[in-house]
Amino acid sequence: MRHFLVNFLIISALLLLVLTSLFSMADGYTDAYYLRFTTSKKSNLILGTSRAAQGLIPQVFDSILQKDFYNFSFTVAHSPYGPVYLKAIQKKLKTTEHEGVFILAVDPWSISSKSQLPDDVSNFRENKLCLGNTSLVNCKPNPEYLLKNLNGKFITLLTSKKDSSRFLNDDGWLEIDVKMDSAIVNKRILRAKNDYMENLKTYKFSTARLEALKQTISFLKKNGKVYLVRLPVHNELMDIESSYMPNFDKVVQEARSLSDGYFDLTYLNSKLKYTDGNHLHQESGRLVSKTLALLIKS
Amino acid sequence: MLFNTIDFAIFLPIVFGIYWLVDRLGIKVQNLVIVIASYYFYGCWDWRFLSLIAFSTLVDYTVGLALNKELRPSRRKLLLWVSMLTNLGFLGFFKYYNFFAESFSQAFTFLGVSMDAARLDIILPVGISFYTFQTMSYTIDVYKRELEPTRDLVAFTAFVSFFPQLVAGPIERASNLLPQFYKRREFDYANAVNGMRQILWGLFKKVVIADNCAQFANEIFNNSGDYSGSTLFMGALFFTFQIYGDFSGYSDIAIGTSRLFGFNLMQNFAFPYFSRDIAEFWRRWHISLSTWFRDYLYIPLGGSRGGTWMKVRNTFIIFVVSGFWHGANWTFLIWGFLNAVYFLPLLLTKRNRHNLGVVAEGRILPSLREVLQMGLTFFLTVVAWVFFRAESLGHAIDYLQGMFRHPGSYLLLSNYFDYQNILNLIVLFMMVEWLGRKGQYAIEGLDYFLKNRVLRWGIYLIIAITVFLYSGEKQEFIYFQF
Repeated sequence: MRHFLVNFLIISALLLLVLTSLFSMADGYTDAYYLRFTTSKKSNLILGTSRAAQGLIPQVFDSILQKDFYNFSFTVAHSPYGPVYLKAIQKKLKTTEHEGVFILAVDPWSISSKSQLPDDVSNFRENKLCLGNTSLVNCKPNPEYLLKNLNGKFITLLTSKKDSSRFLNDDGWLEIDVKMDSAIVNKRILRAKNDYMENLKTYKFSTARLEALKQTISFLKKNGKVYLVRLPVHNELMDIESSYMPNFDKVVQEARSLSDGYFDLTYLNSKLKYTDGNHLHQESGRLVSKTLALLIKS
Repeated sequence: MLFNTIDFAIFLPIVFGIYWLVDRLGIKVQNLVIVIASYYFYGCWDWRFLSLIAFSTLVDYTVGLALNKELRPSRRKLLLWVSMLTNLGFLGFFKYYNFFAESFSQAFTFLGVSMDAARLDIILPVGISFYTFQTMSYTIDVYKRELEPTRDLVAFTAFVSFFPQLVAGPIERASNLLPQFYKRREFDYANAVNGMRQILWGLFKKVVIADNCAQFANEIFNNSGDYSGSTLFMGALFFTFQIYGDFSGYSDIAIGTSRLFGFNLMQNFAFPYFSRDIAEFWRRWHISLSTWFRDYLYIPLGGSRGGTWMKVRNTFIIFVVSGFWHGANWTFLIWGFLNAVYFLPLLLTKRNRHNLGVVAEGRILPSLREVLQMGLTFFLTVVAWVFFRAESLGHAIDYLQGMFRHPGSYLLLSNYFDYQNILNLIVLFMMVEWLGRKGQYAIEGLDYFLKNRVLRWGIYLIIAITVFLYSGEKQEFIYFQF
């Protein structure tokens, strides 16, 4: 038995060594979220869905507001406002400092559920996704995240660099580098438009999510100032969004009054470039980040 | 709890440790550890179904003892029927109720009588077909006085619920497994190492081959109308390797795990895709089920005794029943029927027991004749698997028509990188299987490489790393649904 156990331990140790080396190769190319589970606790956070993940650039905020920002936004599937996202934010936040700045991107989809029962918290789809299934958000490397969320495709740790169109920066900003010639962009916008038309049928406003947004604001307020922002989108998507929730500002009225300020930047919609109508292109992202940072500063 | 999860990776060493720690306290305590671990293992799926296993166990245990005391043939037959009706009753209700209700309803509608069958929302208990057949074999053997009934309830419970093979076999015969629960188990280094090796190879088959093939097979079968003939053929091929990797991989893990606890289970797969005819294929595929049907259905029906008509009838019965065992769907019945049709020429020409040994024994390469024989058998199997995988008979027929309608069209698969990788892995896998075909499982047969310690450890590490690197998206074991 002893001989068996010793041999088993030796081979396990060798395997563990190989796996640890492999895990340490995970980086910003691995996927669009991993690095956000590997950094230390942060004092200033950018929160929201993929619009914020791609459109709000921490570097720009750092230089204007003289703070160290971290983008902890994911996607509308992973991080709409809800108990799962709030719990992850609580883990990610450095609570020893109380002069933080928190930017929360809000839009109709981030307070809605893709479900017939929009307030059924136990069936929120993010429960099974990375924020819901990973308990550690500050661990590098983060084997828990990799084991649970890479869907077994660990080969991507070696091959993912081939896909250079997506890179998650150390500050949490998801950098997208795609072709921007008008034909391709229009095609992407059309696809996004079709997707959002589908969303009209499947999404429903969620009181539970709005409540979670308010809880998130209240929690963050203990640690600094909280600003809400509605980010620009392509006009065609804005039309769909407006038909889905025409009174959005009214719906989030309570959340707005809890916060230290609400900035509706959709007046910039037609002046900006989008990769697919839903997400700001890098250049426009810098411009919007600068505008927002200056508004916060003033 | 699936074998390819972290949960099992934690569960197994804990049970292994406790099991060998209580070794000194005797086999009763060890058996009790197995019972507790097995019930926990099964309860992880759905604890409500534990009562089903417990009830089946108690019925067969009691019937077994009663059969031993009872001498009157009519009473003995009655006791056998009690056991059969209980076991088959559960199986029939959970697995076949909706199928029969719908089929009757459709048949009546066809005859012009409108009849609405009440469809029940029934969850199929995992592995019910496996443990039901295992426990039935005990009662039948006791009834036939081929086995002494056990008085040891713990040993019998452990036999019925033994976690490595509880949910997907091998379906053990009581005469092989039950006596192992009476004997003291000694830890045997060579057996344990062999078990670990078999687990590793099983994981490779399941996680690398089956799960990766599933990705493409699912995509192609689920959207078969969109794809060209050659892609549909590839889809069928991917499913052929998926089902083999999935099921034989599971069996390897089950057998390997049992070895760690000092048990020897029967071989369930013997390199079936190297078969030279369909008869040989069925001697090598899901051996525990084939031999179960042979012993408890084919032989009682008269077997190969009697005239040609009797042999043909019995052959069709066991193949169709075997198809039906797999699932309550016409596709499985046709799959069984088709295999019987494949088998028929061999039976009629008395060539069904021609290829009994290992193909190309003592040679590295097969002869041209063997290649052609294996190729034809493999092709027939691929065609039959289409029925097994398709959602309905209509889907299977459309799929097969599509396969042969535009055979020359280009492959239309989006993820070319993964596609190339999995094809390379399949080729590598089949090469290892070929080289190790004389073993119980492939890497056991690679004795030349296993003699050298460095080479041996290198092979283990490479397989383990490949399992980790190339593991596909987690898929349920296909055979759990049966």
